[in-house]
This record gives sequence, C-alpha cells and structure tokens, in this order.
Amino acid sequence: MLKDYDVIIDEMEGKLRPPTVGMVPYEPKVIPLTTGEDMLVREASREELVMIMDAIVPLFNHPKDYYDIVAARIYTEILGMLRYRVQDEYFFVGAVDGEIAGIVNGRLVNEKVGMSYHTMTLKRGVRVGAQLFAAKMEYHFDFMNQDEVFIVAESPNGFKRWMIEYELEPRFECPHELGGVPTFVLTRALWEKHKANKNVGIRPAFEDVIEANKVLHMPAKINV
Amino acid sequence: MREVGIVGIGHTKFGKSAVPYLDMCCNAALEAMDDAGAKTGRKNVIDQVFVGTMGAGMVNRLSGAASAVVDTLNLRPAMAETVENGPASGASALKLAYAAIASGMCDCVLVIGGEAMREVTGWEGTDFVATMLHPTGEYPYGLTLPAFAGMFTRLCMDKYGVTSRDLSIVSVKNHDNACLNPNAHIHSRVKLERITDERYIAATNPLVADPLRQYDMCPVSDGAAALLLVAKDKQEELGFGHKPFIKVAGIASATDTHYVADREEPSDLLAVRLSAQKAYKMAGVGPEDIDVAELHDAFQILEIAESEETGLFPRGSGHLAARERKTEIHGEMPINTSGGLKAKGHPLGGTGVSQIVELVKQLRGEAGDRQVKDAKTALAVNFGGFGNNVVSTVLKAE
Amino acid sequence: MEQMYAYKCTKCGKLHHPRYIVCQNPDCDGREFEQIPLEGKCKLLTWTRVYNLPEGYMMPWLNFGIVEFENGVRATGQIGFDDGIKSGMELVSSVGVIRTKVIKYKETVEEPVYGFVFQKA
Repeated sequence: MLKDYDVIIDEMEGKLRPPTVGMVPYEPKVIPLTTGEDMLVREASREELVMIMDAIVPLFNHPKDYYDIVAARIYTEILGMLRYRVQDEYFFVGAVDGEIAGIVNGRLVNEKVGMSYHTMTLKRGVRVGAQLFAAKMEYHFDFMNQDEVFIVAESPNGFKRWMIEYELEPRFECPHELGGVPTFVLTRALWEKHKANKNVGIRPAFEDVIEANKVLHMPAKINV
Repeated sequence: MREVGIVGIGHTKFGKSAVPYLDMCCNAALEAMDDAGAKTGRKNVIDQVFVGTMGAGMVNRLSGAASAVVDTLNLRPAMAETVENGPASGASALKLAYAAIASGMCDCVLVIGGEAMREVTGWEGTDFVATMLHPTGEYPYGLTLPAFAGMFTRLCMDKYGVTSRDLSIVSVKNHDNACLNPNAHIHSRVKLERITDERYIAATNPLVADPLRQYDMCPVSDGAAALLLVAKDKQEELGFGHKPFIKVAGIASATDTHYVADREEPSDLLAVRLSAQKAYKMAGVGPEDIDVAELHDAFQILEIAESEETGLFPRGSGHLAARERKTEIHGEMPINTSGGLKAKGHPLGGTGVSQIVELVKQLRGEAGDRQVKDAKTALAVNFGGFGNNVVSTVLKAE
Repeated sequence: MEQMYAYKCTKCGKLHHPRYIVCQNPDCDGREFEQIPLEGKCKLLTWTRVYNLPEGYMMPWLNFGIVEFENGVRATGQIGFDDGIKSGMELVSSVGVIRTKVIKYKETVEEPVYGFVFQKA
C-alpha cells in the first residue's frame, strides 16, 4: 500500500530528502508493436510503483538472463523513489491494454548528466526493451536537454543493445552508480546519430490507448 | 530399386528446448517409432540410424550423436552415422536412409534431425553458422548467412522488382500458418502494416542485413524431428502394415560454388534448380503436380526464389504469387503450411526432417487446421550453406 | 600490409580468387597457379550493411559487398565507408584488417587478419 510509505515531513525528514533540478513531465507516446497491439509509454504513478514492486519479487529467484539482479535492484530503486532517497528518479512503463509490458528507470545526476538504471522486459520478443530504453534516452536528451547519460549493462543482451548498437563511449574512469562496473556514455552526438533508427512513437498518444492504460496491472504470470 | 516410404513421424516443440540435445533427439525418435509401432530392445527392427546435425559436436560438445542415440534408445546393434551438411543435414540424412533401403542394405531406417542452438549466445551462434562459408574468401571477413541473404535480396530487388513489402507478406503468411502448428517456435500473428509502415518500421522491424529486416529472417531455434522409413516390400512383415505408406518418390541433391561471388549469375540458386529437377525426374512428376511445398525460408527471399527455381512459379514472379496470396494454405500453391523456418523455427539439422514431417501430415490428411485439400504430391527443399549444397525431396501418398 | 592475389592457372590462363587446388575451368585440369596481384578498380555488384555481427566484432554495423575487377575476377570483401553505397558504383580495392581476433579451439586469440576493404574510387 502506498500509504505505508507516507511519513510526516518534519525538519529532519526534510533535510534527508534529496534536492531536485526540476524534472519536466514525459509526454506519453504510442508505439505500435509488430503483433498489431499498441503500447503506451508513460510515467508510472507512485501507486503503480508499489504494485510493480510486489509483482517482481518472484523474479529475485530467476537467474536466467539476469532477471534476478535487475528485479532486485529495481525493487530497491522503487523504494528509493517512494522513500524520497534518490534524487530526480523517474520510472516509465510500457503497457498494452492495461498490462505492463516493460519498465525502465533512471535519474538525473545534475542538469547535464543522466544516470540510466534499468530496463526490464515482461513481454518478450516484440522489442519492448529496445523501445523503452530509447524512450528513456529520449527523456534525458529531448525532454531534459542533457549532454550525456551514464549507462551500464547487467546482461550480454543489454551490452549488445546499448553498448554496441549505440556505439557508446567507454568512460571506465567514471564509476557508474550500479556497482561501479565499467561505465559507457551515450553522448548527445551519438544520440543524434542513432535516434532516428531507435526512437519512435506517435504523439499525441491516441486517446483510446491512453484510456486503455489508465489502470494498469502486472501480467498474471510473469513468463520470462 | 526398392520402393522406400515413411511410416512414422515425430517432432518436438521448436523453440528453446527444456531438455539436453540428446534427450531432444531421442524424444522425436520415440514419437516417430511409437507412431509406426516400432519396438526397442529385442523386438527392434531398425537396421540403421542417421542423425542429421550441424553443430552437435561444435555447439553441444557431443560428437558421434548417432551412436549416442542408438545406445540411449536401446536399438543396438543397429548401424549409426551422424550426417553433416550444414542446415541441410536433415534432408541429407533422409537421402542416405533412402539409399540404404533402396540398395537392399537395410529394410528399416530411423532418421533424426536435431539442433540445440540456444545453448550458446546469439553472437557465438552467428559465428558458428558462418563457419560453413568459404574458409578464406568469406568467413574471415565477418560475413554471415544474413549478409549473403542481404546481398542476394538486393540483387533480386534490382532484377525482378521484389520489394521489402513482398518479403513481409511471406513473413506474415508463415506466422499465420505457424499459429495453426502446435510444434511451431513462434505463435504470434504479425500485422503487415506494423512491419512495413515507414513511420515506425525502424523500431518494429529493424534492418539486420540491409535490405533484410528482422521479419525477413528466421529465429534461432532448438528442436528435433524424426522419420521411420521402411522398404515397401517389408512394410507388412515388419509390423507397419497399418500405417499409410508415404513414398519417397524422388530425392536428390546438387552443389554450387562455395565462394558465392563466383556464381555466373549471383541471383540464381543453381543447386536448388538442379536438385529439384533431379528429384522430379526420379519421381516422374513435374512442378505442376506439386500440391504442397515446404521451402527453406531461412530468409523470406529464399521462399520466393526457391518457388521459382523449383518451377512452381515462373522465374521472377514468385513475389507476385505471394502478393496475390497464391501461396497461402488455401491458395493455388500452398507453401510452408507448417509456418516455415520463419515461424515454425529453424533448428539447422532438424529443419530438413521437420519439413518432411509436415508433408507426411499433409499427405496423410492429418494436418488439421492447416490441411491442404486432396494433397497427393509434395515437395521439400532443404538449403545448405548459402545454396551451395541443396537437397530436394518429392513425396507421394500411395 | 599484405597483398591480395588472383591465381592464374598455368595451363589455361583462367584467373581465380580465392585459391583453388584444381582449376575451375570445366575443360581444364590444371593444378598449378601463378600469383598475380589482385587490386585496383572494381565495380560493386551488390552489397549489404549487417547490424548483427558475429562474435569478435564490437561495432554496430559493417558493410560488405561483392565486386568485379576489371580482369573479370569477382571477390567478396568489406566496404570501408558508409555513405552513398550503391550497386554498380566504381570502387577501388585496398587491403586492411578484416578481423582482429581469431577463434581457435578453446581460446580466442588476438591476431589481425588481412583482406579486401573496398574504398570509394
């Protein structure tokens, strides 16, 4: 329950909470999937984050394709956001007919630098992960006008999708927040080079698709 | 020569195998043996086992797969050989089984084709498959099978006016067919406009080997299929008299230059044409007699080109036939009713045998929702290398 | 930098690339070949840009093409530039590193391999 995370904001709590550079809202978009379904990409509400947190717990024991570490880390990242312990964090969901198909998140380090966290695909085989990753990069560069985003990959799939396909620049001297594993950077120049092929979506999002994804639920059985 | 036919078929669910390679092959084999009523141990009548596989040794670290299968299934002391002809290993195994029975050396032969590709990463798999390219002139360059398919597609586009949309039409059809096949790897329908619309094609159907896109090529699959073959004159005696005899009426292979650039006409698939002509001649039929065909659509352009090289459609018109929906299950020349390699999946060594399993079902009238009405004569093309070693088979319902 | 060669049958004169053990002329059975540098102008017959590269290639894409040299020999190779690739265009061949790692039994070793890299004429 979201109210479990409510606390009284006294002076001490006020001091514990992170500052903000001021985030602009992410305008929802519709991405057509090959199956003929329309996926809506939009920000997740705090209520939805609580639901996602509960639903991904079973994945902690799912080592295949690194779902265990990604799920566990997303869980704590959601907590960090609900508890106001991470600066300028955002969560987007991709959803089809009200069912969550994937989750992405990250945060802003400062006005110019972004820190990409995770991309988790729940509906596999229809490029949901690739689309959601592009959507979060779109947020950093085209909504927040940032200069660069720090990125790491937990799985070889991620490494191929991000590091190789976007030609990310290695910057191993700057440890990423996710455990200090080798950091790669998507610069604005690389984003401009690759975004035409990677970032799609229809805006404004169709009303019926927005409506169909007003209330979200997780897949009844997470089959990854 | 003796008449040779198929009395048993088996097929695992293609996709990601939950069991090890050897178990997968044995599961397909047992299904084919049970279909025909063949026994193991003291009651075994199988003289020979052939296993078609490209990578059991290299990918799964299992050499001598056929010896392992014979022992695991308790078919000793049957003869056993593993057959490798790249992605056409399965049909090559069938060809050797045919020869073994027709020659009189054997009366009953079990053929298995199987591959477990998903044990390695996509990059390793791509590299492994590319090892069948020319060892000095192609493979070291980083060339892959999709690279050659891309270059071949471009030639066909320039020469015959094939479009990217035509490839998508073939892909959509095969996805639809696979939805009717419980053993297919992919069970999802694909909307044509979603993979062709310029506004979002880059994201929904990205380029893999320009001009080839993701939906223009097959997935990487695990899977196995099996066939039990007998001599017609021994069918009753060996206890298979109750099963329909699907005759291997013609089977032949042909080779072409290994170095693709050396082909006189690089947009031709000479080995497909020659192997099909030989198989037709052996069967005493022509392309006009074919009721249903399984063609090797590892890339959608190959379904189109093979439909022409085998004479099902005139040269340069295969894409038009696809556009006119002639190749759908209820069209005038149904192709890849199983879903094809595109959507049924493509476990290299398994594919050639899987194609025959589908055609046997069609000729027996057991293909369910994807049954082609009154199918009597069927054609399979199993394509090895980038077309440098191709096997064609003609089956007839007796 | 290595040199690329065509292999000329000493019996019938047919040019080959890559190297064969027996002459490919159906009316010849030559087994000896003379090495002739294979270089210079060539015409691009077909090409592709591959985005899913195999093990050992850490790049988003590579371009490949089949060319025909002025002496009629055809060859496959990498294309060394990205913009304006068109079938039928004139190219000039160069020799470059086409692979930096070689996969051997049990290990992958750093070892440059040289081959055709076609450039703008």
